[in-house]
Amino acid sequence: MLSLWSRLFQRTPPADFVRAYEAFPEPDRRLPWREVPYTVIDVETTGLDPRHDALIAIGAVNVENGRVLLKQTWYSLIRPPSDREPSVESIRVHHLTPEELRDAPPPEAVLAELLQRIAGRVLVVHVAEIDVRFINAALKPFGGRLRRPILDTARLAMTLHLNAQWLGEQSRDMPAPAVELRGLVSALGLPIYAQHNALNDAVTTAQLFIAQATLLADQGRNNLAGLIRAGGV
Amino acid sequence: MDEIARFLRSYPPFDRLPDHVVHQIAGELQIEFVRAGQTILTRGGEPAQFLYIVCKGSVDLLRSGDQVVDTLGPGEAFGHPSLIRGQPPLVTVRAHTDTLLYLLPGAIFHRLRAEQPQFAAFFAASVIERLGHAIQSRQAESNPALFQTRLRDLIARPPVFISADATVGDAARLMRAERISSLIVDQSPPGIITDRDLRNRVLAEGLPDTTLVRQVMSAPATTISADALAFEGLLLMLERGIHHLPLVDHDRVIGLVTHTDILRRQSNSPLFLPRLLQRATSLADLRRYTDQVADAVNTLMAAGARVSDIGRVVAVAHDALLQRLLHDAEAELGPPPAPYAWLVLGSEGRYEQTLRTDQDNALVYDDEASPEVIHYFERLAELVVGWLVECGFPRCPGDVMATNPEWRQPLSVWQRYFRRWIEVPDEESLLRTAIFFDYRQVYGALPAEPILRTITQHAAEHRIFMARLARAALRQPAPLTFFRQVALERRGEQRDLLDLKLRGTAMVVDIARLFGLEARSNETNTIARLRAAMAAGVLSREDGDNLISAFELLSMLRLQHQQQQIANGLTPDNLVNFHQLGPRERREIKESLQAIASVQRGVALVFQTDRLA
Repeated sequence: MLSLWSRLFQRTPPADFVRAYEAFPEPDRRLPWREVPYTVIDVETTGLDPRHDALIAIGAVNVENGRVLLKQTWYSLIRPPSDREPSVESIRVHHLTPEELRDAPPPEAVLAELLQRIAGRVLVVHVAEIDVRFINAALKPFGGRLRRPILDTARLAMTLHLNAQWLGEQSRDMPAPAVELRGLVSALGLPIYAQHNALNDAVTTAQLFIAQATLLADQGRNNLAGLIRAGGV
Repeated sequence: MDEIARFLRSYPPFDRLPDHVVHQIAGELQIEFVRAGQTILTRGGEPAQFLYIVCKGSVDLLRSGDQVVDTLGPGEAFGHPSLIRGQPPLVTVRAHTDTLLYLLPGAIFHRLRAEQPQFAAFFAASVIERLGHAIQSRQAESNPALFQTRLRDLIARPPVFISADATVGDAARLMRAERISSLIVDQSPPGIITDRDLRNRVLAEGLPDTTLVRQVMSAPATTISADALAFEGLLLMLERGIHHLPLVDHDRVIGLVTHTDILRRQSNSPLFLPRLLQRATSLADLRRYTDQVADAVNTLMAAGARVSDIGRVVAVAHDALLQRLLHDAEAELGPPPAPYAWLVLGSEGRYEQTLRTDQDNALVYDDEASPEVIHYFERLAELVVGWLVECGFPRCPGDVMATNPEWRQPLSVWQRYFRRWIEVPDEESLLRTAIFFDYRQVYGALPAEPILRTITQHAAEHRIFMARLARAALRQPAPLTFFRQVALERRGEQRDLLDLKLRGTAMVVDIARLFGLEARSNETNTIARLRAAMAAGVLSREDGDNLISAFELLSMLRLQHQQQQIANGLTPDNLVNFHQLGPRERREIKESLQAIASVQRGVALVFQTDRLA
């Protein structure tokens, strides 16, 4: 009974790499957005359900001084549990084969590196819900979860759309923007990098993010707190 | 980031860098988004820390007073002049639209400049350097034989000298012993004696073998610096009609090249042309000769010759043809009853003809001519113009030809014409000026050219004429849009066209004529006129060098375009589709046109066109 209780409601004692991550102070929300360090991430999974599907790749790129730094990128495959190898349909999307993944580092190593890379930074994700759920599910056995603030570029897009209607810059008949990354990016006239690779998607998202943050700053939301109100999760 | 590498690779100078270098560069970039109207660099402010490359959108470069001097689009870069000099930017850069930029950190930029010459040359600090390099790089890419070989490297053996007081018998024996066809006559400046001299000036004249070398040698000999390019030697031999060229180094003859030394390096050489012309016995042969001239243009073009040098080769070849035709006409009609001069005009007069274009010519004859004499020249003009047509030079649609009685007049009438054009500069005069002021005498005993030059030399004293000429030269402004992009035209179905002559080379030709007259220069060639104007101090060195580079580039692109049309069986024209050109060409055209526009602005001030009613 107790063991079930603890399994359901009690946190596993956090691993060392989780404790190190949690020790970092949160960025000051009053800072202008360009002075805050961000890491934009994107993940590849074998499906959409964290209970049955596995995290198999992660890509990340840093944003500092309002600029996407292509020198600070990271990409890693993650070895899935043997019962969660990618299905034929998902291989068609991400082009990652079971053979490649069997040689990938185990989740613990990748997660430790991820947390080390994002410690003290604001995480930016496109449609954050899915990616965050997968990462949190993977972190659970190590007693960790992602810390807020987390910014979602899909939410930022929605806020910008509503602001544009409010300011009369856009007709109220205009449909809400697609949440799909490529649709948003091309609507802003920005380039799209090769699809379905976690690193390329992270860079594409990062570009979208700096454009959105610049537009919001123009509308008076110049600091991190403003960004969180517009697109935090 | 393969996409970024691919993006970079579609623009100069990244298109010339090794793949792995471009990938390295892509991995070092930072991406920045700026809103329309936002300032990126400030004139006189902080030096640039990055090389900025426009990815999407466009930016304006502004001088003082918010004057837009350029607008850059995707693939174009800025910030490098400030980055190279470590000095405050000379222009403010402001986003024209929402713009995405790729930023290359300064340290990486400097390393690339040190390691990649292509990269360094492209990002040279000034426009002059960049345009100059554009021409050089094309030469370097092509067949190097003629354009990279120095004459010094063609020297096979030390020169053999003979005293001017030796006999021709000694000379002949020395040539036999050394198995050579010419000797340098040891004096200052040096002379030369060749086997041809022994034949033509000694044997054919019935002179004895005791004749002294000094009596039959050529002195001073035509010489050239040993460091000149093989092509320059070729041109000189072609122009002077000689086959032996002594090379000098510090006033000493150190060797000698013959035309065969150069021919050995170049199979389809224009040096073959004179022989072909000599051997021609029919109009069909002469037609073949002009076809060969056209082939030689192709060869020279492929070998990377400057268009101005090609123009000189063509002028020599076509002048020789004209001289031959006039000679033949005189043989048919009998010797001319009075001295006359045959003038070529327009592009031919400027040494800038590269293809067989319409004829532009005129005839001047002695003032003392009787009616029969006038009739003789009428028949002469008819004959020669007709033959030229058969050799592939169409009649002038504007009828500027010696067959037109208006342009076949005694010298005094021509003097009156020129004076009138200068003193009464109405529309018609200005139109005539553009054709007739670019004249050269190709044949005839009447010294018409120097006599008429005394009139054109004084044109600069007529300020109204100069102001009107300046205004006419500005009538075609450089085709740039408000945002400093190349302005394109539409003709019927075709869009995005640029006329490389009317909106390109012709603008420079007009400006050069104006400055040439201002400098009281007798030159007719555009580049020679600009050089004369720079030397006389009426045109700044920077403006002059910019115009020369722009002219060379636009002429080259025009000739390339026409050669391609001819190869495809089309009638050559001057219209290129701007968007079908490569990014390198597009940028070069834009910079050329901007250089021309900048000089045009100064022309209005210098010649006070505003004072005209």
